[in-house]
Amino acid sequence: MSSDATLSRIRLPMAALLAVLTVVYAVVVIRAPIDSVQGVIQKILYVHPPLAYGAYLGFIVTGIGGALYLWRGRESYDRMAIAGAEVGVVFCTLMIVTGPIWARGTWGKWWSWDPRLTVTLMLWFVYLAYLLLRSFSEGGERTARLAGVYGILGVVLIPLNYYVIEIFDRRSMHPENLERGSLGAGMGWPFAIANLTLFVAFVYLVLLRWEVASLEDRALRTRTQGEGS
Amino acid sequence: MSYVIAAYGVTVVTLVVYALLLEARRRALERELRPPGGGPQDPTRA
Repeated sequence: MSSDATLSRIRLPMAALLAVLTVVYAVVVIRAPIDSVQGVIQKILYVHPPLAYGAYLGFIVTGIGGALYLWRGRESYDRMAIAGAEVGVVFCTLMIVTGPIWARGTWGKWWSWDPRLTVTLMLWFVYLAYLLLRSFSEGGERTARLAGVYGILGVVLIPLNYYVIEIFDRRSMHPENLERGSLGAGMGWPFAIANLTLFVAFVYLVLLRWEVASLEDRALRTRTQGEGS
Repeated sequence: MSYVIAAYGVTVVTLVVYALLLEARRRALERELRPPGGGPQDPTRA
C-alpha cells in the first residue's frame, strides 16, 4: 500500500471523530461558566491557547520532519515538514488574530509590543519565510536540506515563546502560562475538550496537507516523464 | 459577546475553508494522476 493510501486511511476516521468533537466542543463552550472578572469574553480562552499549542506542534513537526529528512534522506519526511509548517502557520495566524480580539475587550487595545506578543510575531515570520522559501524555489534535494536546517533552527523560538514571560520577570501584559488549578471552577473540562478538538483538527489537516504534497510530487514526476518521452 | 463570536467565527471559517481548499486540490491531483480510460490510479494502490 502506498503512503498516500495510508495517509488517507488514517485521515478518514479522524474526520468522523472531528465532526463529533466539534459538536461537543460547541456545547461545552456555550455551557462553560462565565468568568466573574472578565465576563463572557473570557470564553476566548477555549480557542486562543489551543491554537497556540497547534502552532507550536506544527513547527515541531516541521523540525522533526526536517531532521528525519537530513538523517534518512526520504522525501516523505520533507513533505511532512512542509505540512507541519503550513498548518502551523494557519494556527499561528489564527492565534495572532484571536489574541488581539481578546486583548481589545480586556486591555482596551488591539496590540501591545510586550515580550510574548513580539516573540509570537517573530515565530510567525520565521515559518512564513519557510513557506516562501519552499514556494519560490525549484524544489529538489538542496532546497529540502536547507529547509530542513531552517525548520530545525526555528524550533528554538518555541520554548522562548512559551517561557518569555518568566524570562522577562513577568513584566508582560500577557497573563502567565496556565498551570494545574489556575483555571476557575468548571473551566477545566471545556478547556480539555477544546484542546482535544483543535488537536484532532490539527492532525487531520497535517495528514491532508501531507497527502496533497505527496500527490503534487507524483504529478510533477508524471509531467516530467511525459515531457521527456 | 461580539468579540467572542468574532474569535470563534474567524477560527471556524478559516479552518473549514482551508480544509476544503486542500480537499479540492487533493481531488484535482487524483484526477490528473488517474490514467485515461479509468482503472486504478496507481498499480501500487490496487
